[in-house]
Amino acid sequence: MSRKRKKHGGGDEVKLNLAAMLDMAFQLLTFFILTFKPPPVEGQVSLKLPPPQIVATVKGEAAGNNANNTNPLQGVETLTITVTSTPNGAIDAMAVGEGGVSDLRNLDQRLKAILQDPVKPFEQVIIQVGPQLRYEALMSVIDVCTRQTFSDGKPLTKISFVEIPEG
Amino acid sequence: MSGAAVEGECDLTPMLDMVFQLITFFMLVSNFKAASIDMTLKLPVVGSARPVDTKGQEKFLVLNIDKAGDLKIYGISKDVTAYIAGEAAGVRRENRDLGPKDELPVTVVIRADRATPFKKLNVIIKSCQDNGFLKYALRAKDKEE
Repeated sequence: MSRKRKKHGGGDEVKLNLAAMLDMAFQLLTFFILTFKPPPVEGQVSLKLPPPQIVATVKGEAAGNNANNTNPLQGVETLTITVTSTPNGAIDAMAVGEGGVSDLRNLDQRLKAILQDPVKPFEQVIIQVGPQLRYEALMSVIDVCTRQTFSDGKPLTKISFVEIPEG
Repeated sequence: MSGAAVEGECDLTPMLDMVFQLITFFMLVSNFKAASIDMTLKLPVVGSARPVDTKGQEKFLVLNIDKAGDLKIYGISKDVTAYIAGEAAGVRRENRDLGPKDELPVTVVIRADRATPFKKLNVIIKSCQDNGFLKYALRAKDKEE
């Protein structure tokens, strides 16, 4: 019995030419290196922005129907913050409802006092904004608002914007 | 002198392996969605800005707004009303069970320059609200770089 002999001798080796593949691979690598951009580190403020609605909705009672109601804010759902701007877009003046606030710290204190009230008349905030106010200044006001919580611990997330007419 | 028949050959296989591994790495870390982000915008700095947490559930509509108040999509200025209406129509086509007044299941990501005046920004927000977009993410940096 003799073993079958291979047709081809063991000395013949098939050699792939890897140079072309390597060229292509380097081109792909160059493309990915050149187009690689690490994503920027950004944060965000998440908000629910419903369209602006009636500024103050009083639930239940028509005016004068209940002489025992001594709380004028009872049933009022919307708190209004007014922010006017200077011509160059900075904050000129601020007010919560009718009462003016001097700066952002004062705004924070006023909002805390109002929203932490256990009667909890407010559900959302409408910010009336001067048309020229820069986005950065607006965000500083939003920053103060989004830090607020109601007396039950829920954060304030319902915020609407209204533009104050120019002139 | 030795004969000219002797050839020196490099074994290219390890180099090819390494290059393919690098290509695989760059393909995996490349985020083509990042192209929709306008890197020239100077975002405002807000201390309460939280890191972006998508949870993979929401779709996003990224709006880049430059300091003049123009809407830029992939670097090209777009008409606000037409663009947002088109996007809203696309979302409604994908979600046929949504009514014409229903809230759209998409978060609008606003990347506005810190110098953008409110009146320009408000036009874009109102246009989004009119088309049913109610969830917003206002992009900002948590510290100055």
